[in-house]
Amino acid sequence: MILASALAAAVLFGSGAYLLLKRDLIRMVAGIMLISQSAVVTIMAAGLSRGPAAIAVAPGDAVSDPLPQALALTALVIGLATVALLLALVHRAVVVFRTAEQDELAATEAVHEAGLERQRQADREETEARLEDERRAERERAR
Amino acid sequence: MLLSTALLVPWVAGAVLVALDGRLRVVAWLAVASLAAALALLGVLAADVFGGGARQVVTGGWPAGVGIVLRADALGVVFALLSVLVLLAAAAHEAVGGVRSRTFPGLVVLLGAGLTGLFVTADVFSFYVFFELAMTASYALSAYGGKRRQLRAALVFTAVNLLGSFIFLLSVAGAYRVTGALAMEQVAERVLAVNPNAAILIAAGFFIAFCVKLGLFPFHFWLPTVYAGARPAVAAILSGAVANIGAYGLLRFGVDLFPEQLRLSGVVLVVLGAASIVYGGVLAVSRGDAAEMLAYSAIGQVGYVLVALGVGGPVGLVAAVLYSVINSLNKALLFLASGVRGALVAAAFAVGALSVAGVPPAAGFVGKLELFRTGVVAGSAALVVLLVVGSALSLVYLFQVYQRGFWRPDPAATGTPSPLPQRLPTAVLALLVLAAGLWPEPLLLLSSHAVDALLAP
Repeated sequence: MILASALAAAVLFGSGAYLLLKRDLIRMVAGIMLISQSAVVTIMAAGLSRGPAAIAVAPGDAVSDPLPQALALTALVIGLATVALLLALVHRAVVVFRTAEQDELAATEAVHEAGLERQRQADREETEARLEDERRAERERAR
Repeated sequence: MLLSTALLVPWVAGAVLVALDGRLRVVAWLAVASLAAALALLGVLAADVFGGGARQVVTGGWPAGVGIVLRADALGVVFALLSVLVLLAAAAHEAVGGVRSRTFPGLVVLLGAGLTGLFVTADVFSFYVFFELAMTASYALSAYGGKRRQLRAALVFTAVNLLGSFIFLLSVAGAYRVTGALAMEQVAERVLAVNPNAAILIAAGFFIAFCVKLGLFPFHFWLPTVYAGARPAVAAILSGAVANIGAYGLLRFGVDLFPEQLRLSGVVLVVLGAASIVYGGVLAVSRGDAAEMLAYSAIGQVGYVLVALGVGGPVGLVAAVLYSVINSLNKALLFLASGVRGALVAAAFAVGALSVAGVPPAAGFVGKLELFRTGVVAGSAALVVLLVVGSALSLVYLFQVYQRGFWRPDPAATGTPSPLPQRLPTAVLALLVLAAGLWPEPLLLLSSHAVDALLAP
């Protein structure tokens, strides 16, 4: 049973890591979900040392440790909350960038940033030109 | 009693504030007030802990070992005080400037609750729970501002740190499997008897999780995007308060729970820390943008903490605690100062820059001094040379920024000065850094108390 859980956790972690490295944001979220499940399976496996689950056992029978199951429950809830938050973020990113591909995301952002930088540069040149004009006008007045 | 109140105040206040509209001035100031109250309570708790030793509460009145134990010792209290102080400064900074999102004030207070809980818990699993509470708040915070850059920063930050969190959870499961305990004290006792291979694997899992949080050299790829993309107040919170989780975790788990594994990997830690210092310093010099440079500087600065931890022993640990305290003050000051303009801010930034470089009147000097002592104790000339090179690099890059951002003669490039109240939080932080540099005894005493608490059997 421990071997089976270890294999399950390993497969979950491996597929999760594979998906996490994909360019698509949705796959990245799926990868993180699988890795979180791998952690939960590991917690469950950590308690499989003493016998069957502690449900309806005869008095005196060996039961498995119930604590990891409580931990797994907590971890599941936290995992659900964080993945929901991540999905909300991805949704927001797709709405703003109109793409779920990380490359395109970075590219659109670079274009946007370059546009902003050009604008700032133009502003700066304009103020400099204005200051220069004022100075020239002052010199002429002094003359 | 005091301990539970200090934890409950930000928790309840945060839960209430999240439901309110944070763009209202009064809500933002309520958040500042509740953080100030939490800071005051932690201050009283700290005085209590320094006077009479660690305080312990078992939740629900169960006997210890059954109930979850909250235990405030000197180390935890120092980090809790520091983090809440940074959060308070950032929240005040935003409250003065006008908050732009509904949830910001509530999230900052909830982050304070998560961090306080994390620093006072003595249970490995509730450490994970508080860790996630703090991290979830900071994921949401990193999207604060709602611009494209912030959104991308939030995506990167969340994805990488979730992975770190689950590696942490896997290690918690492993620790329970091999020791059959979750209370830190029992884990520390029983880990001595377990198979060394399993123990080092679990310790490595914890180490990776905390290094991701710290943004140390091989685990740093998320950091520049996030710190440079987030708004200054959020960057200050992430680097000044959230990164403390990493430093505290390394100290607590490394020294308390896995001392044998820490001793074995001392050389690895020193090498990783040195790589971090050089990499962060060199890349920071090559960056033009102030926020990006500060981000790379953050990678370099946490390297010092790791080097001190790797050298170990009382001297190394005191240096590690002291340097993480000073570093988080510096980073909060610099990030906050990079968001505002004016003569007062320029002076504050200069103080922060001097502190990072380790020039005498600022607190950074004391930290650097302790690090040099560590290098001397370790008997390594290479380490001392590395520290000097790191300091020189930080002086170069910080004054590059100072020159570009604050030293321009024409007002068009530097922009109009920000309103005075907005400059005040940075000025207060700068004064704090200066005061800690001019009168370092309390800080030194604090760190040595913290290390004593850590090393006590």
